[in-house]
Amino acid sequence: MSDKTNNNDISKLSFEQAIKKLTDIVSKIEDGQISLEQSLSQYEQGMELIKHCREILQKAEKKIEEISKEKEK
Amino acid sequence: MKDSLFDEPKEPSKPKAKIYTVSQITSLIKVSLEGALPGQVTITGEISGFKRHSSGHCYFDLKDENAIIPCVMWGSDFTKVKFKPENGLAILTKGHIDVYPPQGKYQFYAESMSPAGVGALQLAFEQMRNRLEAEGLFSEEHKKPLPQYPLRIGILTSESGAALHDIVDSIYNRWPVAKLLFYDVPVQGEGAAGKIAAAIKDVNKRNTTLKLDVIIVGRGGGSMEDLWAFNEEAVARAIYNSKIPVISAVGHEVDFTIADFVADARASTPTKAGMIAVPDIKEVLQQIDSADKRIKANAESAIKLSAQRLKTILAAAVFRNPLVIIQNRGQSLDDFENNMAESAKSFVANIRKVLQRYFEMLLKIEPHRLIADKKIAINNYQNRLSQKTSGLLAFVKLQIETQAGKLSACSPKSILNRGYSIAKQAITGKVITSPADVNIGDSIITELANENIIESKVTKK
Repeated sequence: MSDKTNNNDISKLSFEQAIKKLTDIVSKIEDGQISLEQSLSQYEQGMELIKHCREILQKAEKKIEEISKEKEK
Repeated sequence: MKDSLFDEPKEPSKPKAKIYTVSQITSLIKVSLEGALPGQVTITGEISGFKRHSSGHCYFDLKDENAIIPCVMWGSDFTKVKFKPENGLAILTKGHIDVYPPQGKYQFYAESMSPAGVGALQLAFEQMRNRLEAEGLFSEEHKKPLPQYPLRIGILTSESGAALHDIVDSIYNRWPVAKLLFYDVPVQGEGAAGKIAAAIKDVNKRNTTLKLDVIIVGRGGGSMEDLWAFNEEAVARAIYNSKIPVISAVGHEVDFTIADFVADARASTPTKAGMIAVPDIKEVLQQIDSADKRIKANAESAIKLSAQRLKTILAAAVFRNPLVIIQNRGQSLDDFENNMAESAKSFVANIRKVLQRYFEMLLKIEPHRLIADKKIAINNYQNRLSQKTSGLLAFVKLQIETQAGKLSACSPKSILNRGYSIAKQAITGKVITSPADVNIGDSIITELANENIIESKVTKK
């Protein structure tokens, strides 16, 4: 049950976690040995993860924040 | 020959030898030494018996194969020495020779020193490296893994240096999603090392809010002196103690600093920092695309496979021609129907047979004769019954009279006939059975036979 993650949970994952989960799903699916029903739910989850990862990658800010100033306050 | 030998010391014309005090002669030596030697000399030799006094002054000997010379270095001069003088180390030292009267010796006053052969900084660097390595600061086990996809990267360098732009560009060229957090610190000169170390500690302390995935500490190329801050122990320890993984990015490819050895990863130059710190977004996107394709392909093939299976199942005769089942059933239904018809027929036939038999039996019965027979029987019963009843009645009558006689003999009234009487309280009518039933003066009624009564009064009990 633990790998049943709903969409809300997926959107909270860090990029690192999401990529890891995605890689896991791909290898699980490609290993075979899972039922059609399971592979469909993995498919759905995989699609959500991909969406989430792409969203993160689209947020390129190219902004630099200075953090040394705060010290002087 | 013999005489002249003996005579000579007795020469009276010889002036009397001058007698010096110790101080006088020492002073003479001092002056002649100072006059004979250049004001500053450079000596090369091997350090021996090195001691640093608590005052900060250092005492040691310099020696070679044949000679030894005591040396002093004042604390104020010694602080400028970057490396640690060790026994056996060959050095070049600049200073002057002087006499030290209290101990009657001449000694060398070293004003500066450098290792012979290698540079002082080089030696200092090697000494620091050996010491920290022995302490385990460079151990692989201690190194933290770098995050694969850092989204918040701290950059600790000088605002004025070229390194900042090099680092920023090298990251954004590969991984424009990261947020860069810049911390301005001096990277050379007096106090730089302390400030770099403090900055590393500071971001660690504030990291619950800063949320840095990794820190890059660095500066551009320069002389060994320029890079020196990154060889200082304070920086090395701050990097070692950092909870956030640290990437060092100092100088050029050829420059190695202590920071490089302690850091969790080394970028050979600030321009290479991106290569070390971040993934290439193109590769990551490809990875995601590939995952996308593979998952889709797999789902498709899973569906295809299931569809294939379904097809195989559907190919079975039953599904190919569903009528088969109905036809089969229909046939058995027909069979059943036939059987039913057969058995119904024979059942009806049986019933018919039975009915026929009863009917024939019925035909054999003659009702009128049957009734006459019954009449005779009834008359018989009637006669027998009336005979029996009249006898029984006479008997019963007799029995009743006997019993009635016996019964009247038991009646209290019949006892009265025999001279007994019944006494009753006149008012209550209660039969008196004991003296307690009456009081003196009460009226008593005495019942006699034939319903006669006497009334009397109780006078005595």
